[in-house]
Amino acid sequence: MLSPERLALPDYEYLAQRHVLTYMEDAVCQLLENREDISQYGIARFFTEYFNSVCQGTHILFREFSFVQATPHNRVSFLRAFWRCFRTVGNGDLLTMKEYHCLLQLLCPDFPLELTQKAARIVLMDDAMDCLMSFSDFLFAFQIQFYYSEFLDSVAAIYEDLLSGKNPNTVIVPTSSSGQHRQRPALGEAGMLEGVEASLFYQCLENLCDRHKYSCPPPALVKEALSNVQRLTFYGFLMALSKHHGINQALGALPDKGDLMHDPAMDEELERLLLPFLRLAQVPGLVNSVTASPEASCLPSRTPPRVGSPWRPLHHSRKVDGESDASTEETDESET
Amino acid sequence: MDCQAEVNCGLHLVIQTSSLPEKNKVEFKLNKDTSSFPGRLLQHDLERNYSSRQGDHINLVSSSLSSFPILQRSSEEKILYSDRLSLERQKLTVCPIINGEDHLRLLNFQHNFITRIQNISNLQKLISLDLYDNQIEEISGLSTLRCLRVLLLGKNRIKKISNLENLKSLDVLDLHGNQITKIENINHLCELRVLNLARNFLSHVDNLNGLDSLTELNLRHNQITFVRDVDNLPCLQHLFLSFNNISSFDSVSCLADSSSLSDITFDGNPIAQESWYKHTVLQNMMQLRQLDMKRITEEERRMASVLAKKEEEKKRESHKQSLLKEKKRLTINNVARQWDLQQQRVANIATNEDRKDSDSPQDPCQIDGSTLSAFPEETGPLDSGLNNALQGLSVIDTYLVEVDGDTLSLYGSGALESLDRNWSVQTAGMITTVSFTFIEFDEIVQVLPKLKIKFPNSLHLKFKETNLVMLQQFNALAQLRRIDQLTIDPQGNPVVNFTLWKYYVLFRLSHFSMQKINGTEVTQNDMIMAERLFGILAHVASSELPQYRLISILGDARKKQFQYLLESKGKKPGIINEENNDSKRLVGENTNRATLNYTTRDFYNEKLEEIKEKKKFCKTYIEDLVKEATEINMKNEALQKLWPQMFIELVRDAVIEIRNKNSYMKLCLQQITDQK
Repeated sequence: MLSPERLALPDYEYLAQRHVLTYMEDAVCQLLENREDISQYGIARFFTEYFNSVCQGTHILFREFSFVQATPHNRVSFLRAFWRCFRTVGNGDLLTMKEYHCLLQLLCPDFPLELTQKAARIVLMDDAMDCLMSFSDFLFAFQIQFYYSEFLDSVAAIYEDLLSGKNPNTVIVPTSSSGQHRQRPALGEAGMLEGVEASLFYQCLENLCDRHKYSCPPPALVKEALSNVQRLTFYGFLMALSKHHGINQALGALPDKGDLMHDPAMDEELERLLLPFLRLAQVPGLVNSVTASPEASCLPSRTPPRVGSPWRPLHHSRKVDGESDASTEETDESET
Repeated sequence: MDCQAEVNCGLHLVIQTSSLPEKNKVEFKLNKDTSSFPGRLLQHDLERNYSSRQGDHINLVSSSLSSFPILQRSSEEKILYSDRLSLERQKLTVCPIINGEDHLRLLNFQHNFITRIQNISNLQKLISLDLYDNQIEEISGLSTLRCLRVLLLGKNRIKKISNLENLKSLDVLDLHGNQITKIENINHLCELRVLNLARNFLSHVDNLNGLDSLTELNLRHNQITFVRDVDNLPCLQHLFLSFNNISSFDSVSCLADSSSLSDITFDGNPIAQESWYKHTVLQNMMQLRQLDMKRITEEERRMASVLAKKEEEKKRESHKQSLLKEKKRLTINNVARQWDLQQQRVANIATNEDRKDSDSPQDPCQIDGSTLSAFPEETGPLDSGLNNALQGLSVIDTYLVEVDGDTLSLYGSGALESLDRNWSVQTAGMITTVSFTFIEFDEIVQVLPKLKIKFPNSLHLKFKETNLVMLQQFNALAQLRRIDQLTIDPQGNPVVNFTLWKYYVLFRLSHFSMQKINGTEVTQNDMIMAERLFGILAHVASSELPQYRLISILGDARKKQFQYLLESKGKKPGIINEENNDSKRLVGENTNRATLNYTTRDFYNEKLEEIKEKKKFCKTYIEDLVKEATEINMKNEALQKLWPQMFIELVRDAVIEIRNKNSYMKLCLQQITDQK
């Protein structure tokens, strides 16, 4: 961060690269919108909170799509938020594209359907769009699609060109790579074989990354992803990207696939939230019915949690609170 | 037994025969009836076999000329009983030729075996012809008997009424006990007073016009199912319909129009078994004096009118109800059609290329198959007349509001305005279920506050065809006071296709402790699942939003409570204290999910539009700031660069100045004096 190169950039460029202006503008905009409320506790505090939330990645929650998409950091934060919030949902059944979209909309009300559709296409390899997808498949594909959406659009264009025989590189880049200037009759036959040749494709991508001002995946990692295939289709390529651990780590939004379902901090929170309900479930006679609201909310305070968690006992309970949290977790797991 | 025959112009026709003292004759002689012949004939119940005994002094001489026997009477008898002849029980198989008795007026052939009416055409003065209990199969041979007044053909084998054209003076016609299936060829008998068609095979009664003098009509023991034309009989007083097959009053409705009827029997009919039989008959036939041979009392009449009035009321009510129902059905259909058109229009805008031409709006009747399924009566093109009528309806009836006991049903978006009406406290208090159909959910959201105030007891909400597509929309229901039951009909609500929708509802509306969703009980496991699925979302939504966002979302009202909650968050995360739970209870809603709101799409877009202005301003403002900052930065940098040089120069200048102490002192003094 604090490298000397940054001082070498002219002012505007520096600011633009870090998207500082975006956040400043947004901060001032928020200030304007909520000036009555904010004025009560001070503008300085507001700015502190705002930039804190930007750092933590919570600033994109329930914001409009144009803001969520605005900077790479926003996108990363959004992905992370989506993962954290709906990890538990992912633990269960497979869902359709529409259902995932619904979940996305819970966090961002005007999230466009096209993006979700594109992400689903990656997972389903452009097949029937009503198929069910697993959470991890969808999430990683969505990550690639959302974070690199502009990049992917260009890649799609390149792919189409390559498929149809045009080689965008012949004009622009005179590298020493073999065969670029030749007419490739083989390309005309490429329609018979699936996809395009991997190495050629990679070269085009490399050039794209160089001149692209949007974020691209690190070329080295892309090369790695393409290393062991001869030919690939567009969606095959995207799928390879989404499954590549290195790219995922480079993005830094989501944990590795294996750890996708682990989030100890949130699990703890969840257990805390669930505790009143689990206690309710163990009171005899209340297992299959939900009592009226006053009782339900009173109950947690009446049945004091005992062992294993620092709850304050309110009064004696007839219940044997011999169950520790561990045992309730066990029953939970067996229920799921 | 004395035989006496009297003709009576009154009701009854009685023929009595009395036996005569036998005369001792060697030869067969005719026993003549004593005639106390005042010129009247009376006849008791024509059905019964009236006893008549006849003397058996008949002289039947078989002629060689014809096959018929020729009847001859002694001149004594001819003189004594000149106008009557009785050939009862003479084992006759044919009608004998009767010569020289052309002034005969009464002829009796009872209890014989006669098969055809013949050889009586010369007896043109005949008034009464009795052929009871014979084997006659066809009415014939009567065309010359223009004076005939009484014709008794009971207990024969007659299949058809015919050949009575010339008997215009007929007063009594007895055809009981035959095989007649149809009433016909009697319309010219305008002097007929008594007609007996009992014990025949009649299945219905009509074709009675022309019988202007008929006072008694006996139709007992037939198979009659309906009666017509009786109102064309101006003099009919007695009608006997016992032992037939009449089952409803409608089939004898013409009786109500007959003002002359005063005596009627229905016993032995299915109608007489009905509970409403008596009072219906009495009510419809006010002129009746006797029913089933029993006099009708005033009390019975009164009862009948009361009961009939009740039935009338009931019928009117049910008619009104069915009218209302029909109107409701039409209105709902109309609303449904409008809804479908609207949806189609929206869908057309959304997916232009996918729509086929068949859905074009020129033909509103042809609706896309998927939306049509619920309205089978709408399938197929309506004919233009009906379509026009429905168009007329659509102008007036684009919505429907219905209160049915504890349910308030709203169809069509226009119905939402009805919530503004002045509902009586009693009615409003009784409503526990509110049902929305064919209304956009976004529109419903806007009236939910009104619902909360006006119908405080509404605990069950039902949504059908309301375009619920996002889980978020359920957030809007959180603002209500309480919901016990929620029913989201899959029809027209795509959100139901999501496997998680119920859990989301339970999660978001957990403070309601709902008991049923779509008819199924909510179990603890469901609640746990819901929390498990979305609990983290709530946690994130509450704890990780910066405070100003929380407040702007929640609004001022919740600020205090939320601040309180947030302050308690400052404590160690592991501790949840009472106060937290208390405050949760106080707020009435789990505040950690209170931030999950729903703004209708239109509203949201509006807001975004409004923000655009602000954003533009912010952009220019920041740009200005940046410009300023960069300028200052530049200046700063320039200063940084120049400063050493400047400093050196400053120092050098100062040193040069002070080099000569004396001259410097002078210079300073000079400066001071100049300043004055």
